[in-house]
Amino acid sequence: MESEKRLSKRENIICSVVAIIVLILLLFPLFWTFVTSLKTEQEIFQIPPTWYPHVLNTKSYAAQIENGDFNMFVSFFNSFVISMGAMIIAVILAVPASYAIARYKFVGRKFMLLFFLVSQMLPVSVLLTPMFIMFKGMHVYNTWISAIFADATIGIPFSVLILKNYFASIPPALEEAAYIDGCTRLSAFFRILVPVAKPGVIVCAVFSFLYAWGDLAYGMTFILDQTKRPITAGIFNFMGQYGTKWSYLTAFAIVAIIPVVLIFIFMQKHIISGMTNGAVKG
Amino acid sequence: MKKLKEFFRYDNVGLLFILPAFLYMLIFVGYPIISNIGLSFQDVSVRNLANGDRHFIGLANYVEIFSDEFFRKSLVNTLVFTVSCLIFQFLIGFALALFFNKRFKIAKPVRGLLMIPWMMPMTVTALMFKFMFSTDVGIINYILRCLHLIDNNIEWLTTPGTAMAAVVIANIWIGIPFNTILLSTGLTTIPQELYESASVDGANKWQKLFGITLPLLRPTIESILVLGFIYTFKVYDLVYVMTEGGPVNSTHLLSTYSYKLSFDMFQYSKGSAVANVLFVILLLVGMLYIKITMEGEKE
Repeated sequence: MESEKRLSKRENIICSVVAIIVLILLLFPLFWTFVTSLKTEQEIFQIPPTWYPHVLNTKSYAAQIENGDFNMFVSFFNSFVISMGAMIIAVILAVPASYAIARYKFVGRKFMLLFFLVSQMLPVSVLLTPMFIMFKGMHVYNTWISAIFADATIGIPFSVLILKNYFASIPPALEEAAYIDGCTRLSAFFRILVPVAKPGVIVCAVFSFLYAWGDLAYGMTFILDQTKRPITAGIFNFMGQYGTKWSYLTAFAIVAIIPVVLIFIFMQKHIISGMTNGAVKG
Repeated sequence: MKKLKEFFRYDNVGLLFILPAFLYMLIFVGYPIISNIGLSFQDVSVRNLANGDRHFIGLANYVEIFSDEFFRKSLVNTLVFTVSCLIFQFLIGFALALFFNKRFKIAKPVRGLLMIPWMMPMTVTALMFKFMFSTDVGIINYILRCLHLIDNNIEWLTTPGTAMAAVVIANIWIGIPFNTILLSTGLTTIPQELYESASVDGANKWQKLFGITLPLLRPTIESILVLGFIYTFKVYDLVYVMTEGGPVNSTHLLSTYSYKLSFDMFQYSKGSAVANVLFVILLLVGMLYIKITMEGEKE
């Protein structure tokens, strides 16, 4: 409201201070988790609590590289493979599909669009048991592939619905010019349209990756072998076994959000555009 | 062959571009939806999951779950969870959107940083809040004690009422950024002249809020609430990791209860029936979302 009105110097300072207080309050859980991961177990239980680690303890991170059962870097790697796989499938399938929806009035278009919309609203519980039976039949149960296949089903509808807006905003004249220059539909799509829609493609890739990275239900249900499970399932297991070993647990949590923070730092613009383009979390 | 070529000549060439994605979704989403409906009318448990010796038992699973008090409790819990999350995350998100729309220097970068909670894996968020809400080492109890609001530590996650409050608070934390960013975008579409002429007419801040901002934001608010409902109603990981539905089923949502039936108690058919009830409610609310999206499609 009234965003055009220039603020006086005093108002500027007051607003900035309030903004920083809001920021501190809202991001406090992250700060607290990070600080705790660097404390000794003894210091964590100290009352009153310490606001920064008085004795710096990096053992919580180191211990888990050696620990075979809950090696967090192994589960980090698993998550990475699964998320990349799901992202690649989602992008390869969704980019042409969204172009089709934006440009052509083919038979069944409305039905397919509706199907993508409905699949975006699906609760995981509906899919878990049938997928579980299906993956057993396909002999991909207990492998990365099962989680990759399942996670891609979150990224695809999201990407199709976001990208169709990007493709729709490209003037048709651009495509027609390519045909006059001798492009086929396919070469025009790859050489002209996809490069123009690149920002949208990046948004889809980022979100497909993030959805897969955050998944717990699929990774936990379809992969039983701890050495193949994603990091979210690793954390869940770890909580079950070492319930109150907060130094280890918080270190695990910090490792799990490294890619999220990196993506945030380098792709903040894409994320906000993804959210505002009717973006929703699955 | 010639006919086929003719078929794909004009608009139907789009089918060639969309079919790979559509078939993929048909196999991995469409088939499971149908299959899940089938499961809910059968008697599949761990005994006959593999050998296929299943019997059609009609609506028996549905009759059974509706007479199951834990199911009814989960249904109520899911509604309570969803509505309380929606109210608070919307109000806080709206306040923040109004605030960050003021033109002070650091408004944009700070608003950007607020997006982080929304991007985090829910499992990690659940872990952080479980830690903060824990009875003895939890910072929340410590702060409440310092403010003299409580004398003894509250056992947040092991007392029914407070456990629900804890998961609601954690989920609000995730939902605030979503509401803030979408409402901020909505606010920027309101023409400034409206506020200026209202000022000339002597309108005060509140009159502007209720007379201009809220009515003009209505479409944005509608879609935020519908989407928020859909995404909150099916939340699973957050609650599963924080409380696993406990204590004494007080935080079980339809999603976690369905998972428990299927994968802890191996009553796959009953779990499927619960999941379908969840899905039907989502679909009913989702109709609104579909209506909004499809209307935008026509323009």
